[in-house]
Amino acid sequence: MPFTRNNAWNHGGTFDNPDLLWYAKGVGALQSKTLDDQNSWWFFAAIHGEYITRSVPAQYSWDTIPPPPNVPVTPLPAQSVIDEFWNQCQHQSWFFPPWHRGYLLAIEAQLRSAIIDLDGPEDWALPYWNYFGPDDQYRIPPAFTETNLPDGNPNPLYVDARYGPNNDGNVYVDTTVVSEKCQQNTIYTGSNAVTPAPGYGGSVTSFNHGQGLNGNLEANPHNLVHTEVGGGIPSRAGLMSYPGTAALDPIFYLHHCNIDRMWASWNAQGNSNPTDPNWLNGPVAVGARAFVMPMPNGTNWTFTPQDVDSLAQLDYIYEDLITAPAPVHTLAQRLNKLGALTTEALNTENMGTGTNSELVGASEGSLELGGSGLKTQLRLDSDVRKNVSDSLFKASEVDIPDLIYLQIENVTGSLDANILTVSVNNQLAAHISLFGLLDASDKDGQHGGTGLSFTIDITTIIDDLHLENKLDADSLDVSIYPNNIPEDESINVGRISIYREQQG
Amino acid sequence: MKNSKQVTYAINLVILGVSTVFWIVILFNPGSVLPAHHSPAGGNEHSMASHEMSLHITSFPGMMAYWILMLLAMMMPKLIAPVQYIYERTFKRKRFRAAVLFLTGYILVWGVAGVVITILIQTLKLRMPGSFAPAILGGLIAIVWQCSPAKQFFLNRGHYHRPIAAFGWAASRDVGLFGVMHGVWCVGSGWAIMLFPMLLPYGHHIAMMVVALIMVSEHMEQPQAPRWQFNMRLKLLRIVIRQTRIRTS
Repeated sequence: MPFTRNNAWNHGGTFDNPDLLWYAKGVGALQSKTLDDQNSWWFFAAIHGEYITRSVPAQYSWDTIPPPPNVPVTPLPAQSVIDEFWNQCQHQSWFFPPWHRGYLLAIEAQLRSAIIDLDGPEDWALPYWNYFGPDDQYRIPPAFTETNLPDGNPNPLYVDARYGPNNDGNVYVDTTVVSEKCQQNTIYTGSNAVTPAPGYGGSVTSFNHGQGLNGNLEANPHNLVHTEVGGGIPSRAGLMSYPGTAALDPIFYLHHCNIDRMWASWNAQGNSNPTDPNWLNGPVAVGARAFVMPMPNGTNWTFTPQDVDSLAQLDYIYEDLITAPAPVHTLAQRLNKLGALTTEALNTENMGTGTNSELVGASEGSLELGGSGLKTQLRLDSDVRKNVSDSLFKASEVDIPDLIYLQIENVTGSLDANILTVSVNNQLAAHISLFGLLDASDKDGQHGGTGLSFTIDITTIIDDLHLENKLDADSLDVSIYPNNIPEDESINVGRISIYREQQG
Repeated sequence: MKNSKQVTYAINLVILGVSTVFWIVILFNPGSVLPAHHSPAGGNEHSMASHEMSLHITSFPGMMAYWILMLLAMMMPKLIAPVQYIYERTFKRKRFRAAVLFLTGYILVWGVAGVVITILIQTLKLRMPGSFAPAILGGLIAIVWQCSPAKQFFLNRGHYHRPIAAFGWAASRDVGLFGVMHGVWCVGSGWAIMLFPMLLPYGHHIAMMVVALIMVSEHMEQPQAPRWQFNMRLKLLRIVIRQTRIRTS
């Protein structure tokens, strides 16, 4: 009998929901263990990421986190243990979904073991927070905002440094910003008419891991939810806003449980995971370290994506797998809009796939993004821009028009707790989260200080400009507004570019 | 945006191909394209008098040309990642030119380092012809450097990929600077291990091949916090073993 992961909002998301009550007790049990105990709450948080051994500005370090929780920074495990287990989280990578699935399975096993020791239910499973659910489900379940458990003891689910989207302690997910649009994608890695690059699950991660792009599931909703829930105030960052503190907050695992549910739902819709051996075998295939988790029986579980790429081979199910319905004939709608005739036979099966990308234009030099935002003009190369126009003029079922992307490149800084609103020619292009910015800007980190880069699909905006005969201007206006940069601080944007992606 | 598979494979093929050709020239000297006693590491099989003669016969520019040839043979494979990056960030018609500018900047730095290393090696070999003492000392220095936090510092900086302007001279400046700085970090991390085989009285070609594999491999490792550590950094070997298993299972 598989374990069932249920909706955290059952019973109103309060401690009347036994899943949440026992989760709180289990978290408390793991928090009572020491940092160097491989079964402790703290050790598991460090498996995702930590700011104890890594050099970061003081306000992000674990030893300055305001309680609760009382986060320990000693005793450290042996260096060999740190090297094997800590800072494993996979971001800007096609390993993002499978690594986090294995991570959830391990913490769930640890919690279940602790809950059973407390005479709790033997079939306990992690609940998920479906912030896209009806009614108040966009709000954090109330059990996480109580300072005490029903028995009067401190509530381990309560966290001080959790500020919410408006940085006022009111924690919810703004579903006008965060969406489950990625569920409409049909390709795990790559692009087609309904899947913007780099694909649902993320870009191929080769031996050179540092230059990856967020997959569509990772960018939105995953990253945006991290930033909205965590938030940050000038002197303090929300735990959820930074990869090196996120897993200290108990809401982290409910969020990731929902991300995992969305991946399972995406597969249940008939979409396939990669079959490339370099994905199936995990980063070990390209010489990197293995995914490994401590289990409650004292063993270590080393796993690969192929061990976790289907719920059918695992011992849990979800209460429901309902997400946004997939649209039909999106390519047909685009072709019709561009004036091309389409046939009934046109469907997702014969959509083109992205084959080759090419730079169309870019900003001049690097840009500083302060609290008041920035506006800049992108200069387009006239020859390449004409190729884009030709592609749109010739649009047909045979000549599938280009997809167009805005790319914000080499973004560096330390202010992860920000959501950027990006517009092109005054049309909203996307909201992007800076989750992971500090780590990507660390010169001794995985990105070597190169920073984060973001791709935004602006095909619809370019189509509209083309139809309004405004695409021949050889320039585009781009504006970026952050929601949480203090007046005296800024982040750096290396370049903003436009790319075309030919469809073959 | 990432390069297409075709572009990615083409870059890999050209770079590895050029490296292979240069290795063949160095190892087999087909058609005697290289003059006698071309290598700054060579000549120790002779007496001091004959070594002085070899220095007389072979010009310093000739030695430097050999140095650059050897450098390209050894280092081209580790330039695949930055060249891929340059191709992603540059207008299609300017990609090759940008890659050449990057390479020029990179070679320039190693060229300057080569002058210093060549003079040092020639001086040592002139004073101690046929002796293993310089190589033993150089080997010890290389081992200490390989374990040092400074080594890791330079390796980490080699993973930094700077923003590249799209238009005009700024684009050329940025790829050139990228090459220069990539060269600085590469020299910083690799000077000691490069020096060791050059000091060997015999068999420096074989030693150079081993060093090339180590240097390519260590640049493939993820950046990590600088600290004293004994780390062989054998990622390339791990990849070969794992990929062989995957493809044959």
